Parts: sequence; structure tokens; C-alpha cells
Amino acid sequence: MLSWEFPPKTIGGISPHLFNLSRELVKLGVDTHIVTCDFPGAPEREVVNGAHVLRVDSYKTPSPDFATWDSLMNVNMQKETASLITSLSRQVDIIHAHDWLVANAALGLKHVFRIPLAATIHSTEVGRRNGLHTDYERMIHQTENWLAHESWRVICCSHYMSGQVRWAYGLPQDRVTTIPNGVDVSVYEKEFDRAEFRKRFAFPEEKIVLFVGRLVYEKGVQTLMSAVPKILSRVNAKFVVVGDGGMRDSLMRQVGNMRLAHRIMFTGFLDEDSLRKLYQVADVCVVPSLYEPFGITALEAMAAKTPLVASNTGGLSEIVEHDNTGTKVFPGNADSVAWGVTRVLLDPGYANWIKLNAYQKALQVYDWAKIAKQTKEFYEQILKEYDGGSWKPT
Amino acid sequence: MRVVIFTWEFPPRVVGQLAFYVNRLAAELIKKNVDVYVVTYNNSWTGFHQGADGIKAYRISDKVQPQINVLTWILSLNQEVERVAADIYYSMKRELNLLDVHDWHFIPAAVTLKRALKIPFVFSVDSIEPHRSRNSGAPLSSSIRSMESLGMSEAAGVLVKSEWMKQELKAYYNTSDNKVEVVSPDAESWIDGILATYQKRLEVAAS
Repeated sequence: MLSWEFPPKTIGGISPHLFNLSRELVKLGVDTHIVTCDFPGAPEREVVNGAHVLRVDSYKTPSPDFATWDSLMNVNMQKETASLITSLSRQVDIIHAHDWLVANAALGLKHVFRIPLAATIHSTEVGRRNGLHTDYERMIHQTENWLAHESWRVICCSHYMSGQVRWAYGLPQDRVTTIPNGVDVSVYEKEFDRAEFRKRFAFPEEKIVLFVGRLVYEKGVQTLMSAVPKILSRVNAKFVVVGDGGMRDSLMRQVGNMRLAHRIMFTGFLDEDSLRKLYQVADVCVVPSLYEPFGITALEAMAAKTPLVASNTGGLSEIVEHDNTGTKVFPGNADSVAWGVTRVLLDPGYANWIKLNAYQKALQVYDWAKIAKQTKEFYEQILKEYDGGSWKPT
Repeated sequence: MRVVIFTWEFPPRVVGQLAFYVNRLAAELIKKNVDVYVVTYNNSWTGFHQGADGIKAYRISDKVQPQINVLTWILSLNQEVERVAADIYYSMKRELNLLDVHDWHFIPAAVTLKRALKIPFVFSVDSIEPHRSRNSGAPLSSSIRSMESLGMSEAAGVLVKSEWMKQELKAYYNTSDNKVEVVSPDAESWIDGILATYQKRLEVAAS
């Protein structure tokens, strides 16, 4: 597997995705090698949960911009991976690329070794930017398009993303497979003093309404802020906003103008351990996103048994079933968000019902072991087609 | 002997004089019974073509457009160069002796092919970035220098056209004397000199 990030280097969601997926693939007997960028303090070679990790020089000479750096990094990644595959006596069945950032390296290796290429497209440039506005964005879009078409098959993490990939790159339906992201429920099972921890965020009589995400427009945090007075008119609550981003100052002005600053706590980035505990002491978790390819926050809330209120949009609308595994609200609609949150907070029976159903779903559908099994089957399907074809070298 | 030449310019795509030089080189090698393929770039005339002179040329095209600068463009083209070179390799029952890479553009492809398929390459240097962008500290220029430097260190040998260039490589890239061969295109024995260099460098790579 090729990825520009793997722990300890964690920029986005690909790093934890690979960490969990590789661990479970190894358990299924898949000999997994990960080639990724180097990171200060991390060894060049190590074995992580049975997976072999190789960190390559990620090109530190100055480069004009991120995409040019990425092209140069791919030169190093490709040549080191070529040496790795040679050292494994070419006994590599699949090259699996994660997002466009490793497209160049993966594409060349596919042809040179004639090993089938698989790709997971975690998100698309046209989705991230809500359109393509510059040559820089168009170049990345075309690179994604190239990767998608050169791949034997493509994995997307939700039906919504699969649809977007088919639409954006004109990829036939049978070349796209939906395998969800996973969540590890065991990390939410550690015992701790809940009442003591809760005091850091709210008074005992206050309900905790939790938001986790980057403070950017598409995450819809501004919708939640507009819903705050409506919710407070019916429930005594504290709003805890975890994460940082460009909208932080304007959000703080917004709550200041409402004279509600004492009701809303901006924590900024929170360490992993505190965040996991916070999910468990929160009374409701709100995901008010306007755009969401998958919605990993929703999954974390489900695994932590936190009742969930989520926008009916993108990948979120697949994870959350209304009145079963959560409460769905209209994206960008503060009245709807207020309605959803008060409903969960005022009806403990209902809250209990949705959170337990959600937890069961996290166990059954979003279990990394199951996801690894589906991924292995995906590999086996490719290999079956590859073995029967004429492209395989003799 | 089977040789694949990488060049970013080849007639009818002419940028400088390198296109004509490579054309002449390929034609003369064929007369010496070398099986020659040229892999080059041409975005309007693409695919395989064998001319009256017997040169078999594969012209690759852009898979990603637009591009934001010369580096992102060239580095994405390298994947297509690798595809075509690998196709030649597999269709010729893995009998491909040597790559001859002209200037820095397709060095990354040659390095990967060397490591993956054990095909050695010679780096034929027509011009170098320190001459093209004198004293430039610009990131693009230094990145191109790093590609040239990669080529110097990974090549089985470096071919230059003059004693002067040999000294320049030594000054800018610290390239050792025993790695660099001087074969003047003006010399009577030019093509024999090239062939002798190929042979010698194949032996170096094999040892």
C-alpha cells in the first residue's frame, strides 16, 4: 500500500484508515507492506501490528508548491518501492494506492512490474473545492481521473462517494466498490471517573452538546451556533466545540453577540484520549455538515454510545438511519438542528434507543475486521481477473 | 543489442538541437545492427511509428492536463515512459539490454526501470541546469538539479560530447572521472565510440 501519511504522520483521515486496515489485513494472512513519507523521530523501517512500514525521504529541498513537492516525493517513493518489490522477489500481488497524492508512483510501478493496481479514493478534488476553479485544482482532478482509470478497481468509503467518483471520472459502475470506513469500539471501553472528567466542561446539571470537526463552512458549525438559543429555551445545556479552523473568530463573535459565550466552550484541538472520554460523557453529538464524503465523527459517536444528531447529506445519510441509529436533520437549517437536539435531550428513552442501535451498527457494519475481509475479497476478485488475462507477464 | 533511447524531443517535435542529434544517433545505431527504440513525447502525433530509416519510435502524450509547471508536467510523463518501456521489455521476452537517457527529463523513469527490471542506463548529457539557469536558487531550478544529480549517481555511465562538459560535471556534480565518457559527435569514429561506451557500461553494470 502506498500512502503519503501513516502514523505518527497524521494530517487527515488516510493515516488512521491505513493503521486500522493494515492491522486487520495482517490478521487475515495478507502480507502487508506500507510505503509512506518519513517523519521526524519515526524509523525508516519498522513493523506495526504485523505490517511492514517503509518510510522514504519525502524530498526536503524547497519546492514551489504542495503539488510540485508531491510530484518530487513520488519520484523517491517510486524508486524505493521498486527496490522493495525487487527485494521481495517480485512476490507482490496488488499495489494499493490511497488518493492522488501517490498516483504517479503507483501508476509507474503498475506498468513496470505488471502488478494490478487498486486505489482507494477517499475524497475528490471537485468535492473538496466544490468545483474546479484553477489550473492547480484541474490538474489534481485530472490526476485523480488518471488514477481511477488506470486502477483495476476503485474503493470508495460510501455509496455517496462511489456515485461522485462515477460522475466525476465517468468510471463504469462495476469498477467501483463501496467498502465503508471503520471504527474501533474498544478504545471507548476504558474505565475512568466520568463525573470528575465531566467537570472540566460543564456543570453537573447541564447537558453536554458536542461538536467535533474542523471549524470550516462545510462542517456546518455555524448552523449549530444559530440553534443554540432555540435549544437553551427548552434545555439547560453546555455546547462543547472541539476542533479549530478559519471560522473560529467569527463563531466566537457570533456567540458573543448572542450573550451566550458562557454556554459555549471552544476547546481547540483536543488530544485523542480526552476526545474519546468527551464522547462518552456527552449527552448528544451533533454533526451538522453541509458536505460530508463519509462522516467519521458520526461513527466515533456511535462507537462511544453517544446519541447522534446528523445532517441528511452525503455519506452521513447512509450511516445514520432516522429514528433508528440517530436523528436526521436538514443541512443548514438551525430550526431543524434545534428540534433534533432537544428531542434527544428531552426524551431519554428515545436517546437510549438510538444510541444502542447505533452502537450495534458500529459493531456489525463498521468493524475493521469485517472491512479488512471485504478488502481481501476485493483483492482476490482482481487477482482472479488478472490471472485470466493476457496482461500478466509470462 | 537492444537499446531504448529516452528523449523529450525527437523530430518532428524539435525544441533545440537535441532532436536532430538523437535522430542521427538512432539511425547510425541501426546501421550497426543495434535494435533501437526511441521513446519520446509528442502530444499531437502519438503512438508507434517506424520510419523509412528504420527507427521505431513510441510517442507518448499527456495524461494530465493542465499542468502547473515544467516539473509536474515532466514527472507525470515519466509514468507513460515507464509504461512504454515496460511494454517493449515484456513483448521482447525481457531482452532489453540498455537505456540511453538524454538529459534529465526521463531520469526518474530510468531509475525505476533499473531498480525494478535490472536494465542499466547511461545518462547522455547534452546540457545541464546550472548552465541553463546560472546561479539560480529558485526551487524549480534546484529540483531539476536534483534530478540531474540522481541521474549521475544511478547511471552505469555518463556520456558527454566534450572534455569541457566532463570538467563541468565534475565541478557541479562531483561526478568521478571514471564514470564519464567523452565521445565527440564530430569525430569520424563517433558511432563506434558510442557503441564501445554502451558495451563498456554494460560490463560495468553487470559487475
